[in-house]
Amino acid sequence: MSSSGSVLLSLCLAVSAALPLSPAHAQDIVLGASVQLTGPLANTGRYYRDAYQITVDKINAAGGVKIGGQAHKLALKLYDNQSDVNLSVRQYTQLLTQDKVNLLLGPFASNFAIADSAVSEKYRVPMVQGGGASDQIFSRNFKYIFGTLAPASNYFGSTIDMLAHLKPAPKTAALLYADDSFDVSVANGTRPKLKSAGLQIVMDERYSTNASDFNTLLSQIKSKNVDVVLVAGHETEILNFVRQAKSLAVAPKLYSFTVGVPSEDFRKALGKDADYAFGMTAWLPSADLKDRWFGDAQQFAQAYRAKYGYDPDYHAASGAADVETLVQAMENAGSTDPKKVRDELAKIKFDSLYGPIAFAANGQIDLPQDVVQVQGDKLVAVYNGKTFTAQAKYPMPAWGARQ
Amino acid sequence: MDLLIQVLVNGILLGGLYAVMALGLALVWGVLNIVNLAHGAFIMLGAYISWHLYVYASIDPFLGLPITAILMFALGYALQRGLLNLIVRAPMFNTLLLTFGLEVVLTYLAQLAFSADYRTINPAYAGNSFQLGALTIPVVRLAAFAVALGLTIGMWLFLLHTRLGRAIRATAQNLVAARLYGVEPRHLYALTFGLGLALAGAAGGLYGTVSQINPYIGASLTAKSFAISIIGGLDNPLGVLVGGLFLGIVESLTALYIGPTFSDVASFSILILVLIVRPSGLLGKTA
Repeated sequence: MSSSGSVLLSLCLAVSAALPLSPAHAQDIVLGASVQLTGPLANTGRYYRDAYQITVDKINAAGGVKIGGQAHKLALKLYDNQSDVNLSVRQYTQLLTQDKVNLLLGPFASNFAIADSAVSEKYRVPMVQGGGASDQIFSRNFKYIFGTLAPASNYFGSTIDMLAHLKPAPKTAALLYADDSFDVSVANGTRPKLKSAGLQIVMDERYSTNASDFNTLLSQIKSKNVDVVLVAGHETEILNFVRQAKSLAVAPKLYSFTVGVPSEDFRKALGKDADYAFGMTAWLPSADLKDRWFGDAQQFAQAYRAKYGYDPDYHAASGAADVETLVQAMENAGSTDPKKVRDELAKIKFDSLYGPIAFAANGQIDLPQDVVQVQGDKLVAVYNGKTFTAQAKYPMPAWGARQ
Repeated sequence: MDLLIQVLVNGILLGGLYAVMALGLALVWGVLNIVNLAHGAFIMLGAYISWHLYVYASIDPFLGLPITAILMFALGYALQRGLLNLIVRAPMFNTLLLTFGLEVVLTYLAQLAFSADYRTINPAYAGNSFQLGALTIPVVRLAAFAVALGLTIGMWLFLLHTRLGRAIRATAQNLVAARLYGVEPRHLYALTFGLGLALAGAAGGLYGTVSQINPYIGASLTAKSFAISIIGGLDNPLGVLVGGLFLGIVESLTALYIGPTFSDVASFSILILVLIVRPSGLLGKTA
């Protein structure tokens, strides 16, 4: 820098230091995240980018975060990790060491959250993440990771509760799951639940992530005449599974999937073939879920759709809740100090568009899963964990008997 | 027993699809000595072309295959003349680098143009099946298998019995001698690459009718096509068919008897075994 430049700069600094800081000049609070904007996970990653952005904008429009009587604007520092775990770890390190962001939001997917939470733990900056549900993320006694997705081990919990109330009662079950952290957690949680519900597990098969051929598994399901098929996997796999089930005329009494069913994209890709598929969601855009910033979940969903042109699902609501949770914790702490915010997060309790936010000692939220089913071209919530909220279409008719 | 036969049939039908996917890669590799790492991305592109034809112009995916193939041929011809010809006699490493770069560019252009949404080519008959005794035969897979068989035999006849096909093989075997006989390699190379892409395009159209399409399916399809080409051998399209069928059956049986996570382990173990025992492929001529 030339000497005149540095003189000018120090003059500016002196002037700005001498001026009393008005609220408009308060320093922005920067939230950092690395999200899958490209690569195989971009399809779900976009929910997080969009949810973070719309929530930050909304909070800023309402005046921002009030800390110690002063309003601060929020800013978002977002990197694209290209669906690469190693890159996301480097980006989180960069966010903390070079960009010096104040607090962290999470990536999508459990295996990313597992790796990235090691960074937040190392630098002692809290990360609130809404993209990883695997129990493994929260089983390491980490102090700086908080999660707003319901535990993977309980994804099928409400579905299995529902099975007992269906007629004719299903007797046998097949459990299929991909070999990644989230889906293995789902399977480990589901197995004992199936047993205690009195179902016989006739198939318990792990398959490779990104598998595209399910013909062998489907032929086995058909030959064993399985009543209930539960699949924990990724949306691409589940699309292939349903298409191939149709082409081999495999129609169990019920099938349910951990992902896909609640998202618009899934129903669009399958068209009529998505009918009868069960799934679960911890979030529905209901006006009963009141929210300080958006009013309620329904208004959030409307604003989201108007801005991005597609419907939010629970990933998006979870992402929005993450931003709100950090904001609430900062306001409670009256500080942006990572340690103080962390302590407030541990005991936080407030209602949001996503539901009541509170974390267990391990840092994970606990929310009940609603059972949903595609019925015609609509997604219908059929069972809320205690009682039926709509008629479940059961058993699924044979493919040839559908209209 | 019924289950075993059903799984075998599944494997054979899958193998047919595998064979079409690998045909183009093997042809380009055998003749131009270019291992086209962008091959899977071209399959993806073909799938998107077929999807657009089906969704926006209501052209049946099977009837749309020739259109997809022609468009892809034109793209292939231009790419070879404008780009790949620069490295056709360069060391292997350069060709890998260039085609890898092409893969990345195509994938990300596809995300920009088509978004990361999952697509399926899903005409009303796509999920139909018929019963053959205790067996269930998916109609579309059978049709895809028939197309695969037709294309393979067509390619084989073309390379063996037409003047152009012989010229292509001659160029692959001995460039100097071929030139002495009046073969124009620049044109021929572009033709071969165009043909390779046309086959990739057709494979993409078929793939979209049985699976789902997104911009990122390419890399794994390239890997699969690569394995099939090695197992079957590069000399002969029939080798690719045998390689595809073999892989389809092995993967299906592995999933049945050992477990679905081991399908890839099985197929790549076979790849290594073939490289050790018959380096020129199951149907390749031994050097």
